[in-house]
Amino acid sequence: MDHDRVFVVMPAFNEAPAIEAAIQEVAASGYRRIIVVDDGSDDDTYERARAMGGVIALRHMLNRGKGAAVKTGIEAAKMLGAAAVVTIDADGQHNPAAIAGMLALIDQGYDVVLGSRLKNPKGMPFHKVAANLAGNGVTWMLYGLWVTDSQSGLRAYSKRAVDLIDARTDRYEYDTEVIREIKRHRLKFVEVPIDVRYTAYSMSKRHKMNLVNGVKILIKLLISGS
Amino acid sequence: MMVIVLQVLLALFACARLVAGVAKYVRKERAQSLFKLVASVLIWGAIAVFALFPQWARALSQRAGFGENLNTLIFVGFVVVFAILFKLLAIIERLERSISEIVRKEALQLIVDARAAGTSGTRPPDIRLPD
Repeated sequence: MDHDRVFVVMPAFNEAPAIEAAIQEVAASGYRRIIVVDDGSDDDTYERARAMGGVIALRHMLNRGKGAAVKTGIEAAKMLGAAAVVTIDADGQHNPAAIAGMLALIDQGYDVVLGSRLKNPKGMPFHKVAANLAGNGVTWMLYGLWVTDSQSGLRAYSKRAVDLIDARTDRYEYDTEVIREIKRHRLKFVEVPIDVRYTAYSMSKRHKMNLVNGVKILIKLLISGS
Repeated sequence: MMVIVLQVLLALFACARLVAGVAKYVRKERAQSLFKLVASVLIWGAIAVFALFPQWARALSQRAGFGENLNTLIFVGFVVVFAILFKLLAIIERLERSISEIVRKEALQLIVDARAAGTSGTRPPDIRLPD
């Protein structure tokens, strides 16, 4: 796939300490179309992303959640003529080396490629494995589709997929809603094992997924009529 | 005699509220949704009926297995409170989505502006578009 038509979307909230390294790593992997969506950060995440050459830096004036930021990034990519979109976390926990393999699968005709931590759980803390399994179970009960990592932030979408997927929720429940959309539109998807680097920085973030957020996600998914 | 007067007054008041609710819906007032209409008809209708025929409330409670009127009232109260709570949460969710849409539109405006300015040779400083 022509890398010039691949857009890498990085939703970011208070990621100032990590954003530059994360962008550099994606750029070093050969992807120049990087869209950073600062989701109303209190720190200088936006300024740092903007200062980096070639990065399209967008900013939410209010914090709206990871899902909202991903949606903004995907909308921007669509406006700029993307042939494929990759979403990746901005805290550096994902290894962009996985993107090439994911795009190769898109080239082979898959609509969505889901990076799965549970297909390669080495080094993954037990509580994250348990939370992930619970999330996968809820996703399966709600939408009837079993995936091994319903909350993964590293995903690749074909143009067809970004045109069809219409997830409505704004926060972490967005990732689960995408699974519903895969089922609804019968999109061809595949899961690939991914490396996740759990650093002291990424583990210290308070807004990351936890049990309370998990319960909130369930309530919102039920309310949203998904 | 006094009790009967109060019963009739309460029933009249409930009927007036019920008619007002239906009239609002018929006039297609924006504040009156189908959910509100159904809720008003059920609540005010029940008040009007039970004000005029209080013995029906007891008969209904016993038939439904609640025993006493108060139990029925408490049960129905819980159901109504949960229905309202669920409705409020849904409204908040809808408002949140609207806010996100506004925020998204504002963020993407940079791309719209940058593309427009790109054709005239002056790009706004907030964004760097790919070549």
